[in-house]
Amino acid sequence: MSAQTNRLNTGGRIDRSRVVNFTFDGKSYTGFAGDTLASALLANGVRLVGRSFKYHRPRGIVTAGAEEPNALIQLGTGARTEPNTRATQIELYDGLISESQNRWPSLTFDIGAFNGIIHRFIPAGFYYKTFMWPAKAWLFYEKFIRRAAGLGKGSTEVDPDRYDKLYHTCDVLVIGAGPAGLAAALAAGRTGARVMLADEQSELGGSLLSESTATVNSQPASNWVNDALRELAALHEVKLLPRTTAFAYYDHNSMSLVERLTDHVGPTPNQPRQRLWRIRAKKIILATGSIERPLVYLDNDRPGCMLVSAVRAYVNRYGVMPGRRIVLMTNNDTAYRTALDLANAGVTVPAIVDLRAEVTGPLAKAVREKGIEILAGHAITKVHGEQGVKDVEVARLSADGKSVTGSTRHISCDCVATSGGWQPTVHLHSQTRSKVKWNEAIDAFVPGDTIPGQNFVSIGGAHGVFDLAACLTEGYAPKRHRKSSRCVRSGSSRPRSRSVRAASISLTIRTTSPPATSCWRIAKAIARSNI
Amino acid sequence: MFVINCPYCGPRDEHEFGYGHEAHIARPTLEQQGTMTDAEWANYLFLRTNPKGVHFERWVHTKGCRRWFNVARHTVTHEILKVYKMGEPKPDLAPSALAENNPR
Repeated sequence: MSAQTNRLNTGGRIDRSRVVNFTFDGKSYTGFAGDTLASALLANGVRLVGRSFKYHRPRGIVTAGAEEPNALIQLGTGARTEPNTRATQIELYDGLISESQNRWPSLTFDIGAFNGIIHRFIPAGFYYKTFMWPAKAWLFYEKFIRRAAGLGKGSTEVDPDRYDKLYHTCDVLVIGAGPAGLAAALAAGRTGARVMLADEQSELGGSLLSESTATVNSQPASNWVNDALRELAALHEVKLLPRTTAFAYYDHNSMSLVERLTDHVGPTPNQPRQRLWRIRAKKIILATGSIERPLVYLDNDRPGCMLVSAVRAYVNRYGVMPGRRIVLMTNNDTAYRTALDLANAGVTVPAIVDLRAEVTGPLAKAVREKGIEILAGHAITKVHGEQGVKDVEVARLSADGKSVTGSTRHISCDCVATSGGWQPTVHLHSQTRSKVKWNEAIDAFVPGDTIPGQNFVSIGGAHGVFDLAACLTEGYAPKRHRKSSRCVRSGSSRPRSRSVRAASISLTIRTTSPPATSCWRIAKAIARSNI
Repeated sequence: MFVINCPYCGPRDEHEFGYGHEAHIARPTLEQQGTMTDAEWANYLFLRTNPKGVHFERWVHTKGCRRWFNVARHTVTHEILKVYKMGEPKPDLAPSALAENNPR
């Protein structure tokens, strides 16, 4: 059993008194209650967790949430085995068994990686039936080609678990329990309306769970979350649904959600494993937040390449160092707060590589005072290290920002975190066939007009509002939405949520400023991503 | 899933209802049936308006009162604009109101 080498001594929302044992690829590790599989693996210094589909490129953990593209894990054994689960969403429980996928004979030594060496001869869209000639040989090749398809392995046995379903109605359904969602649920709940608040995570609080510095009413943001949850729990008509993912928005304001009842404690034969909720709400509030965009450079899929928001979550929420030396690359202010958090946690930040030509302001000042170098007008062009980042190449951007100039500089590190701005999570909005519109100020698509016949509103990060104070204000008083009066309605009128207003909200450090538009495109131009 | 406001029972979920296709189709009288051409028969049997916009259709409250009624539904937004009883004439929904309902 190996020690948790990358665990910070203090901090995080994990319960250090409860040690949890689990295995990954047959090896035993320990984590703490409150960990996800991803955070526990990182705490144990495991960076390589999977292989890419075709070229079998080594892959690591990129994010800390539902948007994880790479850390896809085979979970459980026998009839309960489940392929392609995201390590970032798996809550750790005692006796959890997990395995990496798409590698043979082992994760570190993978025969399939040969495909990566000959990638020039089997490009994307390569027609594998080329091997049909000569006809007899196909019978030989077929076995290997068929075996190469798919990542994990599904169970061939009957599912031993039971599943539940439930129909429900409410006045206000809030999707997402971040600052905006909590505020909206509070505002609606205080009016006596029947409110349901669903969030896919085990803990409600959203981005505030990884927050270290923000304050609400001059109290730490986590206090505000606790107070809000306490108040919501005391409200008779409010129902909280943690571990519940809203996955489909249907006609006439009905939403389908899946609640994971026992997935966080392991197989429980006497209880339903998951519950399908079909909720019809008079008003739906989408507070689904936003997802950070990565920046691109050569080999940006190596284990150790992450998002800045993920690094922040691992340090602040899970008390885990994703690396010992972390280089940050950014085109906005997000990385600077993370750099301060890292410095406070004792993690070395050799440099912040900023695509913007000039970096000023209080955050940059604070970072410089910590002795962190800021390379403004620079970009990471390449990372080195096959099975994990070893160092990065940094080069200066030309004056027009379209190319890199001068010699490259190597910075040794074991983790690279990038931030290319934020993209509102508009999926549920789009499912109603409502359009999105381009917002030049934040360089992202934001929800457009709501289609008639549906009654919902997007607030907070999902609405392209990234400032905490503004998120809370929007949550407390969501703007009146276009009326769909022709829709057949029943019962009482829509509850009003305007009456309550955010009393006084102050912030020590404000959240994201608009990302530099052009830099995002430059980064695209100077680098390429890998499949 | 729609909410359909049954004129006899009130609003219920779509799964309680059955769909009865287009309403207000003129059925040929016995006399007409004797003289109808194949093209006219085909038109009556198979050709429907299939509009992009308001569609007048019949529904039956299978798992409720088991009665038939008519519904005016927008086929783009799935808004139910009017529910009315069998035998009532096709409602005149103002064209301006319909245009407003069409997102394009």
